[in-house]
Order: sequence, then structure tokens, then C-alpha cells
Amino acid sequence: MHLPGYYEFCSRVKMIAGHGALEKITGALADLHAKRPLIVTDKGVSGAGLVNIVTDAIKDGVSIGAIADDVPQDSDLRVVNRLASVYRENGCDSLIAVGGGSVMDTAKGINIVVSENADDLMKFSGAGALKRPLKPLVAIPTTSGTGSEVTSVAVVKDHEKHLKMAFVSYFLLPDVAILDSRMTLTLPPFITASTAMDAMAHAVEAYTCLAKNPLSDTSAIAAISLISENLLKVMKNPSDKDGRLALANAATLAGMAFSNSMVGMVHNLGHSVGSVCGVPHGTCMSILLPYGLEYNMHKNGHLTAELLLPLAGAEAYAGTPKHLRAERVIDHIRQMNQDLHDTSGGGHARFFREVVDRQGKQMVPREKLPDVARKALGDGAVFYNPEDLDYDDMLMVMTAAWEGVPLDISLIKKG
Amino acid sequence: MFLPDNYEFYCPVKTNSGNRALEHIPIDLDALSSRKPLIVTSKDVAGKGAVKKIVNAFKDSGITVGIFDAVPDVPDIKFIEEVSNIYRNKEHDSIVALGGGPIVDVAKIMNIAVSYNIQGLKELAGDDLIINPLGPFVLVPTLSGTGYETSRFAKIENLTFSSHFLMPDLVVIDPRMIKAEDSQIVVATAMTALTHSAEAYTCPAKNPLTDTYAYAAIQYIAENLVNVIEESKDKEGRLALANAAAMAGCALSNTAVDIVHTLGEVVGDMFDLPNGICMGILLPYGLEYSSNKNGYHTADLLLPLAGFDEYAKTSENLRARVAINMITEMQHDLYDATRGEIPRTLEEAEVPRYMLQDIAEKAVSCGSPKFDFDGYLTVLEHAWEGKPIARN
Amino acid sequence: MADYRKVAAGRKPFKRAYVAVMLWFVGRAIQATARVDKVVKKEFEALPEEFTFSLGVEPGGPHMIVGKNKKGRVKYMGWEPEGKHIDLKMEIKNLEAAILMFTFQESTAIAIARDRMIVDGEVSYACTVVRVLDIVEVYLLPRLIARLAVKRYPLWSFRHKYIGRARIYFRSILGY
Repeated sequence: MHLPGYYEFCSRVKMIAGHGALEKITGALADLHAKRPLIVTDKGVSGAGLVNIVTDAIKDGVSIGAIADDVPQDSDLRVVNRLASVYRENGCDSLIAVGGGSVMDTAKGINIVVSENADDLMKFSGAGALKRPLKPLVAIPTTSGTGSEVTSVAVVKDHEKHLKMAFVSYFLLPDVAILDSRMTLTLPPFITASTAMDAMAHAVEAYTCLAKNPLSDTSAIAAISLISENLLKVMKNPSDKDGRLALANAATLAGMAFSNSMVGMVHNLGHSVGSVCGVPHGTCMSILLPYGLEYNMHKNGHLTAELLLPLAGAEAYAGTPKHLRAERVIDHIRQMNQDLHDTSGGGHARFFREVVDRQGKQMVPREKLPDVARKALGDGAVFYNPEDLDYDDMLMVMTAAWEGVPLDISLIKKG
Repeated sequence: MFLPDNYEFYCPVKTNSGNRALEHIPIDLDALSSRKPLIVTSKDVAGKGAVKKIVNAFKDSGITVGIFDAVPDVPDIKFIEEVSNIYRNKEHDSIVALGGGPIVDVAKIMNIAVSYNIQGLKELAGDDLIINPLGPFVLVPTLSGTGYETSRFAKIENLTFSSHFLMPDLVVIDPRMIKAEDSQIVVATAMTALTHSAEAYTCPAKNPLTDTYAYAAIQYIAENLVNVIEESKDKEGRLALANAAAMAGCALSNTAVDIVHTLGEVVGDMFDLPNGICMGILLPYGLEYSSNKNGYHTADLLLPLAGFDEYAKTSENLRARVAINMITEMQHDLYDATRGEIPRTLEEAEVPRYMLQDIAEKAVSCGSPKFDFDGYLTVLEHAWEGKPIARN
Repeated sequence: MADYRKVAAGRKPFKRAYVAVMLWFVGRAIQATARVDKVVKKEFEALPEEFTFSLGVEPGGPHMIVGKNKKGRVKYMGWEPEGKHIDLKMEIKNLEAAILMFTFQESTAIAIARDRMIVDGEVSYACTVVRVLDIVEVYLLPRLIARLAVKRYPLWSFRHKYIGRARIYFRSILGY
């Protein structure tokens, strides 16, 4: 097993997982000396009745300060600042985040503002700006998922100034993460597929990029196994409780992995497509994942090859000659996308040309690809990618991912 | 992949490992709001130049360090009182334990004393009686350890403290600090770490998070232990073993004690042998015995032990057997590499056969109720003779 | 108590001096490269007006500051960050990590991957700066060493590399 020349790993989130995990929330809050939490969530989650399950599980000794369910789909600075006031007005002493990535980021942002007794989040956007532990935060994910319940990052957008601020600090790690199968039982198939592939991309990139370390490696392998074994099962039978719990665990493990090993070009390009064309993150991840592996093959193909075991199982691994394993991994992921496309009745896109919005309109017109390539030059994930990417490289990959054709390996510049 | 219906897991330890890891300590102490660390160590460790190295690492950081290097081999509570007073009087705000064994016990327990107060110390012995976070605690190992160092356990006199608050905030594994030690010590410590990890990885209550730590630990030990014994200059191997120990402690802190751990401690105590050497002897037999019990995941062990290729090639029903055989092979390799110094059986370790029943009785009184007298005795007898339990 | 003593953190004057000199030279080399190399020129043009960045060792270690002046020219702006408005700070966490970087035992990318640096400011600017640093390193260093410092060693013509290298060294030493 690879031992890096130097690495750092930290995952100090307490994990409570299971079919009845939420019932342990009162004890968890008591351990944190939290008596009056602010619940942060969004309309989708509360509409699905999930917040009620959480509040029903909270027992004596804890009184809920307030429930804020108006977090928008994209974390918003104004919402963060406003909810920080709600926190203060209701005399809260802790936060419970129930939702997906945006809710988690918002809750982390609120935590910065109320813990530092500030009125504006912007003041803490520098590295090393956070110096002390924040207020207790319990994270309950409702997608499987971004892994934000175990990451040290929060991204908050300032829509007025068109800025995206990333806050990075171990102090942002939630104190407790609760994985309960009830939270994802009713997740629609389209979101199940895209959030699971988001987790898959996290795990795969954490394993194959420059900052890999032994603990993120073992977490990533476990995440990939769990997703491979459970995703299609859950797509076919959405009320499979065990399958849902497995995917939730996978997302958390993938989150632990990439929080400590970072990600590479798949996220790099994915963020840019999301930013320029508004395509949901999970969709970008599923489409771009095989391309990232193809592009980097000459640098990390040996690592990609290893992933065949958790991805396809022992028989496939043993039955594939070593020099063909990396290719087989890439094919397998493309096949997963195809299967998800079929199971979701075409909802899960296999390439960017076929991504459409709710009205059926194409979301990624070919003319936008140069903008995406340009934007991608400014994304930090590029540091951790094993191979360099300039504008031409980005455009080449985006074009192939748009058309849905494999990369022409001969066009990859190797220096 | 196995997933339990319910589990809990917590590991607060941050790991910094590798080239020039020591020099990152000042900035990590800053994140713990500490500017005045007290380095706690022993004359033995200091004598090997470790203190000099760590002090050098603080150069250019602007931090003044305190050094207390008088930890004895068997510290007592009075000693904790002494060192806690120094900590308070000199106004330190974090503890840096430099070394292993009793040094780490002292560091953990004095952390309780300085964060609470010394008078109440004895009342906090036991499981999870500490309810508030303690002061910042950094661990810098100087040998590859057993896993207790990063774990939630601390022992002094006849008291055992168990709390996740005792786990270090940061463990710093720097190759310059991991010294070449006597083979017996390396094997004993590595085998303890391997036992912790293997038992955590195969027990019925295993969960994916203990697995992440245990898997890495098992793989590093399987890949490096024999090499390090054969080639004392193998620095990278030593670094890997030190990593394995730190990870084993995290796994150990989240899992229940199992058969090999129990028997290893009982045999070690009764016959004044290193616990780790006993665990090493007992490991294949304990694993074999429990593999026949419901719910144990012994077959999974082949993956970290042998790697992807071997695991994938081996059919499912043979994996447990192959894994156990690999451990027995490791024992033989260690015996050969040390020219017979590391015993492979209880007989070679000079444990009298007629005492096995007494050992089994003792194990029943302090071990897990999952195993009964017959179970313990079976493992002991086969470990004495060096014969597998089943021939299949 | 004889078993207790305090030791004030000393300094590492030689390593400090080495890093300081390297930073100074790299700063001036960036200024020179911005004149000589089209790609670097373009990268700086895309950055905001009067954009300034610093690369240095925290805490209190040697620094170099480079930025665009009012006329848009890229200038090496000295070693003192105090009192200057700096848009992007790239802080190496300690002197040893800086030594690893400036003796090319760890490339910029590996240093970032190994958590040796903290980036304070817009990440997209940091991407630009790292690309610029990579190009500067290819000019300054012989191929054997530059290949360790950058991810992908570019295929440049003889003229591009060697004439460019001569011009940049010349300008860096003379400072214009």
C-alpha cells in the first residue's frame, strides 16, 4: 500500500448510523451540551416530512429554538446572515442541518457567523481565519450525497457580487453526523442516481489524484464497493432500506476520502459546467468521471486499474489481465451511466448534449464549451490532478464529454 | 460488503505523517489555541536525541517549549500530581508526549488532572466518566507502538481510564523519530497492533469506519513487518509500521475486546512475557476459532493481508483459511529472521502445558462473554502445539 | 526542578537566507518572464488591475511580492509584505517545507497536495500564479530539475527555451 512522502488526515466527526439512528440524537445533543438547536433545512426536505421525523426523535431536555426551512438550492450569503440573526433571536446554542449540500454549507456558514459573533460571513473567508471551535453542529444528510456531513469545506455564494466563497477549516467539520435510512427512503430516482455518482466521483478522484493517503484510500474503496453493490438495486427498488443505508454510508465514506485527499479534473470541469450552464453537480460528475480517468491514464492508470476490484468484484478483477483493468474500469463506469439512463427512463444523462432542464430545453449548448474551458482554468482542483490541463486540453475533454465519445488518447499531451 | 444495521464511531485523532512532519507542529498547535507546549518524555527517549530533534523543529516558530524528561518506567499517581503542578505553575497550555508506553499514559492522565483537578482523578477511572473535553494533546511516537498510544485507554497503578477525550488531538509520525528498536520490541508491538486491527476487522460488530483504519493498519503490517526485522535500515517500513500502530489505536477505540486480545494479555501477565509476543502466537488460532462462530468475517481479512490480486484469485470459501495461513507464515518468517528469538507456539514460549486450564479460567473471568472456557482452552491448546484447529 | 527546562525557539539563519535569496530571484524572474514570454504576459493581463500576490514563509519568514503597477507592468515589489495591499497570499507553513520546495524535492503541485501551503485569496488567481511559476521554473532550471518541479514539461523550440532563458536570467540579475 502506498505510503505518501507526507500526508495529513483528519475526520473527527462522530458517526451514528442505522435504521433508527435518529433516535440517538437527544443523547448526541446532550454530549455536546446543546439544549436549544436551530434546525436548518429546505422546503423540499420539510415537504417530504423528513423534518418531522427528526423533531419527533428529539426528546426531553432539548427544546427546538426554531426551524428555518427556506434555504435555497444554492447556498446564499444573505440567507446565511439572516438565519444567523434567527439563531440569535431564538436564543439557540447549536445547529442541526437536515438536507443536502446547500443546507449543510448554509449551516456551516451560519455557524461561523454566530460563533465568531460577527454580522458578516465575508470577514472569515481567508485561510486560517477561524481559530477556535464553533458551536455544536449535527449534520443529517438527506441525499447520498455530497458527503458534506464530513467535510471541512463550506461554499457560500454571494449572488450580488457573483462570487463563490470557499471556507476551509477543520473547525467546520460537524460534531456529529447521523445517517438514517428514513432520510433517503423517498429520494426520487433521478436524484438517487446523480448523488450516488457524485459520491462515486469523490471516491474515485480521492484514490487516483495527487494527495491520496492510506486512510482516504481505504475509505474510497469501501465507498466504491457500496455504491457498485447497491445503486442499481435501489434504483429498481427505492424502498430498499438496507440499500439506502448502504448508499448513505458510501457517500459519507467518499466525503471522508475527498475531504482529506481533494479531487481532480472531474470536479474541476464539473464545477465549471455547473457554474456556466447550471447543470446539477451530480450529473456533471457522472458524465465527466470516465473522461477524467481516460485523460490521466498515462499518469495514474495503475491506480485506476486497482479500482476494478471494488467496482466490479473479485471475479471480474481476477479475470481481467492487469494491463486491461484500467480500461475496463472506464467501460464499467460508462455502462453504469447507461444502466442508470435506462432505469431512469432517460432522466440520467450520459453526455452533456442530452442534458435538458425541466422544460426539455438543452442546458449545455455547444457554443458554451469554450466558456466552460476558460472557467475551469481557475478552479483549485486542478492542483491535485495528476496531469496538467491548459485551455486546449479542457476544451478537448469537454467536447468529447458533450458528444459522448471516448477521448482520443493520442491527442493527450504528455510533455 | 458487510454493513451493520446500527453503529457508532468516533475518532478525533488527526494524523500528520511523513517527511518533515515535526515542523508542522507549531501551526497545528496554533489551531489548538496553544502557544506554550510542555514536552513530556523520559530520560531514555531524551538520551536517544529525540528531544533535540523536536526542539529543532520548533526553530523559527517563535514558540518557547517546556521540557520535562523524567517519566519513570512505572509511574504512579503521585508522579502525575508532580508533573501536573509543573504544567500549571509554568503556565503551559498543551501536552506533547514524546515516546510511547508509560510516557503516553502519563500524558493522558495528567491531561485529566490539569483539565479537571487531581483530587477527583480516581473517580474518573472507568468507562466514559469524563464528560468534558481535555486540554490539547499531541503525540509524537518514537517507536512503532501497539496502538494503545492513540487509543482511548490510559493506565496507571491499577486504574484504567477509558474515554475518547483521552485520544490525542494530533499524532505526528516523523521518520526521524522512529528509531530502530530491538526485534523483540518491534514484533511485540506490531503484533499487538495487528491483533487489534484484525479483531476489529473480523468481529461481528464491524463497521465501515473502524474498517478504514483497521484495513490500512493490517496491510501496512503485513507488507512491512518481516522486512523491517530482516533489514533494520528499512526506514520506510518503520514509518509504515508506526502508521499502522496509530491506526490500530483508532480501530481499537471503537471495538470490543476479542479472544486473542484477552488471551494474549492473560498469558503475558501470568508468565511475564510481552503481551504482543503472546498475541502473535495466538492470533492464527484465535482467528480460526472465531471464524467458526456466527457472524465473524474472517474471510475479509485476506484483502488487506494479501492485496487485491491474491484476494480476487482466491475463491470465497478458501479465503479465511488462506488468511490464517498467511499469519502463520508470518510467524515462521519472523522466527527465521530472528534465528528463533520469536516463539511460534506457546510451547516454544515456555508456557507449561498443565497451566493452560488456569489461563482459560482467568480469561473467562476477564474476557468477553462471547467465548466460554472450552473456547479459550481450544485456542490455547492448539497454540501450544502449533496445530490448526481444523484440517480442511 | 532539574528535570524541567524551557527552551526558546531558535532560528535557522542559513536556511532562512537560502529561501530569502531564492524568493528574491524568483520574484525578479517572474518580472522578467512577464516581459519575455507571451503566455505569462497574457496570464497577467487577465488578472485585475494592480493585482498583487505574495509567496513566503509563515510565520514571519522571508517573502516575495509581485504585482502589477498602475501602468499594468508586472514588477517585483520587494520582500516586505507589511503595509502592502495583497490580493493573494501563498503562505508556506514552515521553513522546512520551503526548503523542500526550493531544493526541488517537492514540486509546487506536490507541496500543495501535501498541505505544505495555505492559499489566502481567490483560488482562481492562485491557479494563474502556479501556472506562471511553472513556466518560470522551466526557463530557470535545467530540464533534469525542472521536470521534478512541474507536472508536464513543455515541448518548446530551442529558441523559445534557450534564448528565453538567457534573456530572463539577464533581466533578473539586472532587475528590469
